Amino acid sequence: MLLDIVQVHKHFDTDSGKLTVIDGVSLQQREGELISIVGASGSGKTTLLRIIAGLETADAGQVLLKQQPVSGPGPDRAMVFQQSSLMPWLSVAQNVSFGMRALGLASQEVEHRVADAIQRVGLAGFETFVPKQLSGGMQQRVGIARAIATRPALLLCDEPFASVDAMTRQSLQHDLQSVVSQGNTAALLVTHDIEEAVYLGDRVVVLSSRPARVMQVVEVDLPRPRDPYIRTQRRFQELREHIWKMLQQP
Amino acid sequence: MENAATAVRPRRIPLPAWVWSLVWLFVVLLGWQGLSHYKLVNPIFLSSPLEIVVSAYSLVKSGEFFEHLRQSAYVYVIGVVTGCIAGAILGMAMGWWRRFGDIVDPYVVFFSAMPRVALYPVFIMLMGVGNLSRILIVFIGVMFPMLFNAYVGAKQTPRHLLEVARVFGYRRHQIFVRVVFPASLPYLMAGFRNGVTLGMILVVVSEFFGAPGGLGQQIAVTAQFFQTSFMYAWVLYTSLLALVFVKLTDWLERKVLWWS
Repeated sequence: MLLDIVQVHKHFDTDSGKLTVIDGVSLQQREGELISIVGASGSGKTTLLRIIAGLETADAGQVLLKQQPVSGPGPDRAMVFQQSSLMPWLSVAQNVSFGMRALGLASQEVEHRVADAIQRVGLAGFETFVPKQLSGGMQQRVGIARAIATRPALLLCDEPFASVDAMTRQSLQHDLQSVVSQGNTAALLVTHDIEEAVYLGDRVVVLSSRPARVMQVVEVDLPRPRDPYIRTQRRFQELREHIWKMLQQP
Repeated sequence: MENAATAVRPRRIPLPAWVWSLVWLFVVLLGWQGLSHYKLVNPIFLSSPLEIVVSAYSLVKSGEFFEHLRQSAYVYVIGVVTGCIAGAILGMAMGWWRRFGDIVDPYVVFFSAMPRVALYPVFIMLMGVGNLSRILIVFIGVMFPMLFNAYVGAKQTPRHLLEVARVFGYRRHQIFVRVVFPASLPYLMAGFRNGVTLGMILVVVSEFFGAPGGLGQQIAVTAQFFQTSFMYAWVLYTSLLALVFVKLTDWLERKVLWWS
């Protein structure tokens, strides 16, 4: 088992008292598996991802990665952020290598990985551009390249396509799928887009809205690789409708 | 009807703005020269443009200009450079170590609110009218705007960029060097721009209080002796130097902040 989330609780102290955002979430993920997490916005799914990333700590329970408890960020995990999170003063290539600095790799290896990651997200030729010169979708690709270049065992994606247009989103989804399957990387995708969750996930974890609890884990029994036309299949639509109905429950 | 399009008269190309600026300058200078020529204003208060140009030229020819420029530049460069560096370091430190910033903040606000030229007599009392007290007044004047800019710059570093660095395993000092510092650069440049112009003013004003030489000292001396055309020549040189510095700063800013 790659990732083992055991009874994680998290609350925030607010002016009006204790606000529980995650209430005993458990989840297990295999190596190379792509899991989507859906839930209403504000349901604590992003917080869960941040705990796994090591940006926040759980108040109770624990997160085990390869049997080791997570106590902070580490090179075995990389994150793709919701909004543009590139350093505006660095070029595309420099932004991609930014993520590898702490790994202590030889510069040759870094260069090789930068070129490879940029190639894989389809940005070859844009190496010297700065973020300001790129569209939102291209910036998100750079964010993905930065994460995969570190060759993480687990890729954490926090609504990575929420801020791009529908056309770009489709092609980014496709890219993420191929990037994950090529690298045999596991990925956790937080999203509020049910279609996206079904399209990309091997399993879909449905979280209740605040506090977050696991309502159901849905196996997506659709073949891979998946292309956008899979959305027209009946099984796809059944799964989508099933999850949608679950999320309508109070 | 078919010829309607070709019948349109060719559009006149408007003259560029700088041409009109020059035209206006010429008109004003001409009027000014006229006022002086026909003795419409007392030459004690206003020299004619030609006289000023002649005086300005003689200052260069005799080498006086360079000697006084050297004396002012010495105070200016040392004061501005040390003031900017000190302000940047202190401001960044205040923005980065919040606790330190909170503790120092009230003192900084107090000193920044006070008109700092008011301290000059104190410096003269303590250190005399030598270069040191002038450097100090420039230093203090330049440091505060720089400090504020650096403080704000370090504090406003976008949270999500800090998190990116944390996720990818950067240690605290690495985050400072790789994220906070570059993110603060636009603010540091703004502080520097402030310092460049403010330093100029402070050098000139501090020399009014008495100095062995310098641009400001010459303005004061020539005014006292009613060498009006020379006084205007020194004012002209001071303004031109300020203009050159501002343009150089613009250029530097474009170089440093090319990505924004």
